[in-house]
Amino acid sequence: MPEQPENRIERIVEDLLHGRRLRLRAGDAEEKQAIIAAARLAAARSGPQRMSPAFRRRLAQILDSTPREPRLTRRTALVAGLGVAAGALAGGIVGRELASSPAPSPLSASSPVVPRNGRWTDVGAMADFSEGQGKLVRAGAVGAFVFRRGQTVTAVSSMCSHLPCELWWESGSSLLECPCHPVSFTSDGKPSSPSYTLPALNEVKVRVTAAARVEVLGT
Amino acid sequence: MTLDPRSPSDSSASSGDSGEVVELPSATRATDIALDELELVYAFIYARVGNRADAEDLTQQVAMKAIPRLRQGAPASAIRGYLFATARSVLGAFWSTRLGVSQAELHEDLALAVPQGPPSDESAERARRILERLSDNYRRVLELRFLHGYSLKEVAAEMRSTVGAVKVMQLRALRAAAKVDPDA
Repeated sequence: MPEQPENRIERIVEDLLHGRRLRLRAGDAEEKQAIIAAARLAAARSGPQRMSPAFRRRLAQILDSTPREPRLTRRTALVAGLGVAAGALAGGIVGRELASSPAPSPLSASSPVVPRNGRWTDVGAMADFSEGQGKLVRAGAVGAFVFRRGQTVTAVSSMCSHLPCELWWESGSSLLECPCHPVSFTSDGKPSSPSYTLPALNEVKVRVTAAARVEVLGT
Repeated sequence: MTLDPRSPSDSSASSGDSGEVVELPSATRATDIALDELELVYAFIYARVGNRADAEDLTQQVAMKAIPRLRQGAPASAIRGYLFATARSVLGAFWSTRLGVSQAELHEDLALAVPQGPPSDESAERARRILERLSDNYRRVLELRFLHGYSLKEVAAEMRSTVGAVKVMQLRALRAAAKVDPDA
């Protein structure tokens, strides 16, 4: 039996009031605005927050864990200073340029995701997909970004080909960004920076039915 | 473009500038500056997700995305601007992935000015303005539940109602709160 909306919200409110993370389930999106309002009210209850000492130490370790770039040109420093206006797009470009960790060596060539006993999962109507914009969908255990170009669709895995982190679609730069390191991928799954050698994202099988529904091969 | 530390002449050749170099702050100093700025980011994110675990995950994502920028020794103001641009992007992806909320729907929630000082009680002030605009019953149920931490049963007793009715009222009150523009 589907969960009643008031029970759905109460479950989420209870979690928030007990300091637990948001554990959202399928169908919760129906009350998305109420959930966001609940999260903000829960935050208001506890007032302005500071990081815990343990989390601050963890962040310090992360920040210190990669060798620093020892010097940079004044021009590059100026570019960094202008990054406020340039925003995340410029950050991505400059970030990749200055990333001092060695580029991971190429792994095996990317291949399509073909789940054992895979099945086609309906992920929406063609009309639900904006032209050229990545949309995250799930077909069981397979996460994919689906792209529509005219009447055709393509899909790539939502997982970064280097670290096991889920990508997100940055519409401003039209790139799939990895939250775990400064790399991004184009909509066809290729790494956007030729100097940061990474395998392409795995292709995910996708098709359009006669009824103009988009289906992804998942589990 | 190369990832290896470049010599001044390499940079000059590629960028067309004089190749003059500037020394960066020490690693410890740069990390301390970054952590202080990330404190603001954490407060910004916490005010929007309402719990520590998600706020920590998202702040860590911001830090990891921003590591190259943080290492450049840029002024704190530039670092802050970049971190908040990244934080908005990360928060947008968080709600989009979990609830299918579009960036446009989050525009007002995320398009806030970059804080100029230590974390303020902005979220409490915002909540107060939202609650003020609700009907008495809706305001009361949300105040008791969220600001005073009452259980559903305690709210029901306080409002002389039933747990079931309070649960429905809480849902409706949150829907109403979501429609309030606290800046109007």
